[in-house]
Amino acid sequence: MAFLKLESLRKAYGEFVAVKECSLSIGEGEFVCLLGPSGCGKTTTLQMIAGFVEPTEGRIILNGADITRLGPSKRGLGIVFQSYALFPHMTVAANVAFGLEMRAIAKRERRERVAHMLDLVRLDGFADRYPRQLSGGQRQRVALARALVIEPSVLLLDEPMGALDALLREEMQIELRALQKRLGITTIMVTHDQVEAMSLADRVVLLNNGSVEQVAEPFAMYEHPSGRFASTFLGKSNVLAGDVSGASVLVGDQELPADLAGMSGAVDYIIRPEKITFAAAGGLVRGQVTARVFLGDRWLYQLDTPVGPMQVIDTNVGLPKAVEGDAVGLVWAAENARVVARGAAS
Amino acid sequence: MSRTPIALHIFHWLFVLFMVAPLAVVVLVSFTDKGYISFPFDGASLRWFQAIWNQKSFIDSFWLSLALGATAATLAVVLAVPAAMAIAWHRFPARDLALALLMSPLMLPAIVLGIAILRLLSHLGMTGSLAGLVAAHMVVVLPYVLRLVIAAAAGYDHALSQAARSLGASAWAAFRRIELPQLVPGIAGGWIIAFVTSFDELTMSIFVSSAGTTTLPVRMYNYIANTIDPLLAAISTVLIALTLVLMIVLDRLFGLDRILGGKA
Repeated sequence: MAFLKLESLRKAYGEFVAVKECSLSIGEGEFVCLLGPSGCGKTTTLQMIAGFVEPTEGRIILNGADITRLGPSKRGLGIVFQSYALFPHMTVAANVAFGLEMRAIAKRERRERVAHMLDLVRLDGFADRYPRQLSGGQRQRVALARALVIEPSVLLLDEPMGALDALLREEMQIELRALQKRLGITTIMVTHDQVEAMSLADRVVLLNNGSVEQVAEPFAMYEHPSGRFASTFLGKSNVLAGDVSGASVLVGDQELPADLAGMSGAVDYIIRPEKITFAAAGGLVRGQVTARVFLGDRWLYQLDTPVGPMQVIDTNVGLPKAVEGDAVGLVWAAENARVVARGAAS
Repeated sequence: MSRTPIALHIFHWLFVLFMVAPLAVVVLVSFTDKGYISFPFDGASLRWFQAIWNQKSFIDSFWLSLALGATAATLAVVLAVPAAMAIAWHRFPARDLALALLMSPLMLPAIVLGIAILRLLSHLGMTGSLAGLVAAHMVVVLPYVLRLVIAAAAGYDHALSQAARSLGASAWAAFRRIELPQLVPGIAGGWIIAFVTSFDELTMSIFVSSAGTTTLPVRMYNYIANTIDPLLAAISTVLIALTLVLMIVLDRLFGLDRILGGKA
């Protein structure tokens, strides 16, 4: 049964529609990522769940109760803000204790729970510091402790890693995932970082232009993108515009193999760059290497082909397989190509 | 660190001299033993400081101005804080108009304001009352408080309020525990400037004060209109000394930059 349910949420500011239609069911203990480019409505959706923005239409059901019109202070949700929003004039301990204080919890119990929570986020010994005396990662952990100490029914995270550098971000992601698993708390995170969404979430909700584009587990979404947007926002893709012709797809004059499953008409032919391999002779299409970028564990090739520019990713196993100017054949398996009706999902 | 150009040093010290020299003359004159203002003088004495104690009216006016300044500044804070929060944080119809109205006492000449308020008070039958004087001063000092509190509110991160609300705080609790403490630097700076402005106000007060409610500047102005002797220099010296002490204490406790800069 769905623990948190969004029913046709819509938010319009006059003429401008921030969220067109958002319906979603989230199970208890699930970690869901709202992923999308800026302006896709992910933050507005989170703000509606938190109660800071009132939906124009739709309902929010939490644990069977309609909380659509409930004030933010009565929802009992834990929120970690992008800026962390730690109270600058309070110590770490006072920040974490604030939610308990508002719940009129006795001083003694408050102290114990704060200490336990600081221990959990590995910040014991920092209780008497002020936020300005902490590093970015420590601030984020305080924000997390403050949100979790009230034992919220749902944890909301608004781009929580945005302000951290790459190394620290990876470390915090692992820590966050471990903590979330351990507490078993239902979590919704907003992010524009596809790698973050894929590595953390049980399910990814891909948003674009205020609508839900696709909802799926990370692997499923990567392997079976719903269309051009999903395939290019989540990872890289070669998207070729073609038409179904018999048992294959015709892109320009080239016939490309695919599992068509009864499709017809104008389609997008999607093939991931890492699913393509080089062939010295022959190949499904032939192309010329125009550029290549070394990425450490892999090479990214840019090629000119009769079906348009294509990208190929090749694992670095020693010597590069091709250099600029080389004519190469490209091969891939038909089951790795995805064919979706063009314009079905933008 | 680059070295400050020598010309800038010279300009700086000339400017300080320009500001401080008149005060220095007043202080020096107050130590004369003559019955008239002269500088330089030959005999030094404290007779004019002693004379202040015999002028009970000046002492009364001093306490009145002190109480008036504190009351007007405090009431201005009480009005300015909600106004500043509304203006800095929300968009509403006639917002610019409201701001312009609240700031308008700054743009009106004090003499015009004095006449207008006197007219209003007589209409209300409150001429010469202490309440009228307090209200008039509050109007004049409100813009200073409003400006500084708006400056403090403009830099406020609204996620703080949202965080407080999400943790279960009522709107009032969020204001008292989070928002108000964040505005304190602006409020403190505004209060001090408002107090000083009120304590110093002469032009408007001439119209609004009465025999029973004569502020110190009005008392001094009236006195100097009739008599010219070093008594006023002595009073000024006492005020300068008090101000200096207050500034030093404030700087030691909070830092003047912080209070008057309106920064957290």
